[in-house]
Amino acid sequence: MPVLKGKELRIVGFLCNWCSYGGADTAGVGRFTQPTDLRIIRVPCSGRIDPLFIIKTLMNGADGVLVSGCHPRDCHYAEGNFYARRRLEVLHRFLPILGFEPGRFEYTWVSASEGQRWQQVVTRFTEQIHKLGPAPKIAGPEASKTLRQMEAAL
Amino acid sequence: MKYQQELKDSIRKALPDLDVVIAWSSGFDPLHATPHFIRRDEDIDRLEIGPLCVHNLATYLPGLRGKKVGIVVKGCDSRSVIELLQENLIKREDVTIFGFPCTGVVDQTKVRKALGNAGRVDFCQVASQTLVVGAGGTEHKLRLSKVLADKCFSCQYPNALLADHFVGEKISPSVAEEEGYDDLAAFENMPLDERFAFWQKEMDRCIRCYACRNACPMCVCRDHCLAESRDPHWLSQEDNVRDKWMFQLIHAYHLAGRCTECGECQRACPMDIPLLLLKKKMNKEIKELFQYEAGVDPAATPPLLSFKMEEENIKEREW
Amino acid sequence: MKIGVFVCHCGSNIEGTVDTAAVAAAAREFPGVAFATDTMYTCSEPGQEEIVTAIKEQQLDGVVVASCTPRMHEQTFRRTVERAGLNRYLFEMANIREHVSWIGKDREANTNKAIDLVRMSAAKLLHNRPLLSKKFEINKRVLIIGGGVAGIQAALDCAEGGLQVVLVEKTSSIGGKMAKLDKTFPTVDCSSCILGPRMVDVAQHPNITLHAYSEIDEVSGYVGNFEVKVKKKATYVDWKKCTGCGVCMTKCPSRKATDYFNEGIGKTTAINIPFPQAIPKKAKIDADFCMKLQKGKCGICEKICPTGCIDYSQQDEYVTEKVGAIIAATGFDLFDWTVYGEYGAGRYPDVITSLQYERMLSASGPTGGHIKRPSDGREPKNVVFIQCVGSRDKSVGRPYCTGFCCMYTAKQAILTKDHLPESRSYVFYMDIRATGKNYDEFTRRAMEEYDAKYIRGRVSMIYPKGDRLLVRGADTLMGTQVELDADLVVLAVGAQAAAGANQLAEKLRISYDSYGFYMEGHPKLKPVETNTAGVYLAGSCQGPKDIPSSVSQGSAAAAKVLGLFSKDKLESDPQVSMVDIKRCIGCGKCMKTCPFGAIKEIDFRGMKKAEVIETICQGCGICTSTCPQGAVQLQHFTDNQILSEVNALCQF
Ligand SMILES: Cc1cc2nc3c(=O)[nH]c(=O)nc-3n(C[C@H](O)[C@H](O)[C@H](O)COP(=O)(O)OP(=O)(O)OC[C@H]3O[C@@H](n4cnc5c(N)ncnc54)[C@H](O)[C@@H]3O)c2cc1C
Ligand code: SF4
Ligand code: SF4
Ligand code: SF4
Ligand code: SF4
Ligand code: SF4
Repeated sequence: MPVLKGKELRIVGFLCNWCSYGGADTAGVGRFTQPTDLRIIRVPCSGRIDPLFIIKTLMNGADGVLVSGCHPRDCHYAEGNFYARRRLEVLHRFLPILGFEPGRFEYTWVSASEGQRWQQVVTRFTEQIHKLGPAPKIAGPEASKTLRQMEAAL
Repeated sequence: MKYQQELKDSIRKALPDLDVVIAWSSGFDPLHATPHFIRRDEDIDRLEIGPLCVHNLATYLPGLRGKKVGIVVKGCDSRSVIELLQENLIKREDVTIFGFPCTGVVDQTKVRKALGNAGRVDFCQVASQTLVVGAGGTEHKLRLSKVLADKCFSCQYPNALLADHFVGEKISPSVAEEEGYDDLAAFENMPLDERFAFWQKEMDRCIRCYACRNACPMCVCRDHCLAESRDPHWLSQEDNVRDKWMFQLIHAYHLAGRCTECGECQRACPMDIPLLLLKKKMNKEIKELFQYEAGVDPAATPPLLSFKMEEENIKEREW
Repeated sequence: MKIGVFVCHCGSNIEGTVDTAAVAAAAREFPGVAFATDTMYTCSEPGQEEIVTAIKEQQLDGVVVASCTPRMHEQTFRRTVERAGLNRYLFEMANIREHVSWIGKDREANTNKAIDLVRMSAAKLLHNRPLLSKKFEINKRVLIIGGGVAGIQAALDCAEGGLQVVLVEKTSSIGGKMAKLDKTFPTVDCSSCILGPRMVDVAQHPNITLHAYSEIDEVSGYVGNFEVKVKKKATYVDWKKCTGCGVCMTKCPSRKATDYFNEGIGKTTAINIPFPQAIPKKAKIDADFCMKLQKGKCGICEKICPTGCIDYSQQDEYVTEKVGAIIAATGFDLFDWTVYGEYGAGRYPDVITSLQYERMLSASGPTGGHIKRPSDGREPKNVVFIQCVGSRDKSVGRPYCTGFCCMYTAKQAILTKDHLPESRSYVFYMDIRATGKNYDEFTRRAMEEYDAKYIRGRVSMIYPKGDRLLVRGADTLMGTQVELDADLVVLAVGAQAAAGANQLAEKLRISYDSYGFYMEGHPKLKPVETNTAGVYLAGSCQGPKDIPSSVSQGSAAAAKVLGLFSKDKLESDPQVSMVDIKRCIGCGKCMKTCPFGAIKEIDFRGMKKAEVIETICQGCGICTSTCPQGAVQLQHFTDNQILSEVNALCQF
């Protein structure tokens, strides 16, 4: 929540466990320095990523969303990223109708061995989001209230 | 309407084998048609077809699963039936489809605007290019071209695409395919921040009645719609733009590759929120990417439930 | 829920750039968090004890550990919380090392990020439910793919351990590269003398079924219960009858067939047994060169074969093998060195590969162990070896070191002197990599006792000069140009992934690196595992390796399989999808997209519903993001769990 004022923007990543999360680990092991904005949500497979998660994240005020999975053909579950590719491409093309800059969301493929590539992807995406600046915020009640209400409903 | 008698005859013949036939009849006033459930022979007489038959009756089909149902469809409605068949939500042998060539249906919002505060509607007649409405003692002549629904101006399938009984002559679409998305193109010419502001303003008016969803023939989850569920818990029950807008995106996404652009969602919305714009955008992208249109081929596989190893139209991102 | 949060220093790995005490302090304010502390090494014995004690003393019912990647220690900590009586899934990990402290330098930003990640984990944990695994039967047979020395070792170890082994080899004999070698470093003992008996053991072991000249067609199933379709390629010889007498080879008129075993040094017959020690010792017809199969004329082998086993109409045959585990041991192939224009790109007959040279050195090889120039059969005087051909060279896309070329080049230099005492060997090298036991001593012997001249530098050009070759290169130690008259040039060609490695990986659902070598589960701690349960690696398919390492891996993989099969039943991963029968409308979308066919249609009081078959579901969650109303939810990664993470991070 507390984005470092003036330093960071809110960037959320959805990464598949087998390839891209591993790639991000490999980048860490290699000490490949990256901007600190990104927060990673780990999912088993890019096929698990419902595009609505990404929309929800943007609606909740994220400035950028990055999705990364195994390279096509290398999915740990054989086909997950093929489904993901279609869903994510549709989303990428759909977002502008809502008024979101298309560059606020990107998807890509990074394997577990590509630590350096992960570093480049994060650096580039973070730069892109900083260039776009903070995302427009939807007017409405304070987060804490709504979220507390949602939690309470469970 | 021209083929009305023919249609009645054909329903009369089929009725003994059916539990019910869904059609339209005159509603609470002569300007509004309403869904009409034909169970007995005498019900057939009240059947009406024409530009007032706005409802997409396919919406009732999933709820009548297990029954032998006849249904009268416009071109656009037939696509919903096809889509329901494709998704195994209804059985082909359970439905009997009656089709007729549709020349367009009115948009009641436009009619209301054109009539202004005209008072009680006494009668309504359809002449060739006009709708003659008698209200508050005066006669109003409305040019059909002014009051037809937007979707009818871009309609590519005026004849039922799938029918067991088709009455009348098939007609050809009145507009070229490319024109269908003009309104979308106009909207997309707006700068991004204006689009963002536009939706905020529009969605602010939403009253969360879910009429849009209830009218949608493809929203088959109904009681278990994400909008009102706690597990999964996508939306709060609050009245805020964020959640209301999010619901429309949930709807648009759940209809991705399934929406037949029947326009029921928008028609049903009491607040006249231009919901179809979102659906059209989704359909346009899906068509461009996968050369796919929902509700055309009952045997097709929807694009988001399938894939190709090499996608012709998706570039590997330079990312 | 009462959550305990443990923020690890990891020595200074995390604490160096993250204020762990501040993270713990912030965590105390999160919903559900009842206890938070920072610890030195959470994964160590005292670190784990601290968690156990805290769970008991504070009555915690959920734990977050903020430390390294869950890919490293999730299992460790799950066991820890289990020891304290909690269900292992009431645990979450925040990766504040690989994803925070190791990649960011700004302590404030890192600390802030670590707090976010802990918030996220705690938020998700609030939605975690205890999950219990189910037990299922396993098929205690193992499939080994590739019959090189690694595969052979694995097969024998597994068979000795009492397992039924199915060994699938692509070519018509097992043995791999090692069968082609003359002698082996660093002992210079005869390769076939040490490998041969092991190959015979494979043939004779009652527990081993060998499918030679076969490939993997399809793999389905999961750990414990794989189903593998093996394609037995047509050999046109009925192997049940063939005795390997070799009469056919003596009479076959087609004598220009490519001799793959001898690396193209010499030719062979269309019907052939690749080498005398082949296992199985059976003939096969190379259809490309058989006159009967190509033109319909000939049929000599059919007439001559004493057991009548020739069958020109034989077709590929498919057999299905049910196994519980798979070891990939498909080895490597040689880099195609002809991309190097400076070495003649294959134009000069007297520039050969190291493996061709091995065949030439071998007493059972095509030259009977005599070193002869392919061009004129003369014995060479000056033999020039060039190392790192297709290794450590970015310009040809092979930046990695093959690792064993330095050693075998030294071996070949020694053998050259043994064969031709009058000869002199010259070796162009970049660095000498001789890090094994007795290895450096070995390369020194080549230089000191066998008079091989080592020149540090690269060769820039080879061109013909009379009937010899002129080799021009740099001596970077002396800072001079060198030119040598060579009679024979031997290229120490590097290793690359075996042909078809990628396709096989896709069938096995394992990953490979950008060069096609298979990815191990963890570079240090899981060298022979893959990330696919039940699939293991051995030998050079994982990266170039010499024989001792390949054999070690073969044994290691066998040990893993024996360990896996030591239980009578396996536990299924409970992170599988589950259908909420109330919400499901039986539309079947999930069934269409599930890659494993793990969802079946059931009839529930007259209504169609979906049901997940737990043992088949792999937990990908594709179904979950397909179902519109969220009726099927992947356990541990439910919509609510992911949404809670989103909500924790992005609060408008
Ligand atoms: C010129 C040369 C000299 C060498 N000298 C020495 C030495 O002196 N000492 C030493 O320690 N090491 C030496 N090596 C290294 C040694 O060859 C390797 O360490 C060893 O061969 C690795 O064994 P492996 O089983 O992993 O692979 P391989 O020997 O490559 O065996 C792999 C096997 O799998 C089969 N296969 C491949 N793909 C498939 C598939 N899809 N389906 C079924 N089967 C498949 C192949 O046909 C092959 O039989 C030398 C290497 C070379 C090139
Ligand atoms: S989303 Fe709207 S236009 Fe599309 S099928 Fe549903 S009701 Fe019709
Ligand atoms: S919006 Fe989605 S969840 Fe709701 S009824 Fe429609 S398809 Fe089902
Ligand atoms: S019908 Fe209109 S007002 Fe009602 S929920 Fe839908 S968009 Fe909102
Ligand atoms: S997609 Fe959802 S509703 Fe359809 S069958 Fe599967 S679980 Fe049931
Ligand atoms: S999570 Fe769903 S799609 Fe994936 S294997 Fe399990 S049932 Fe199939």
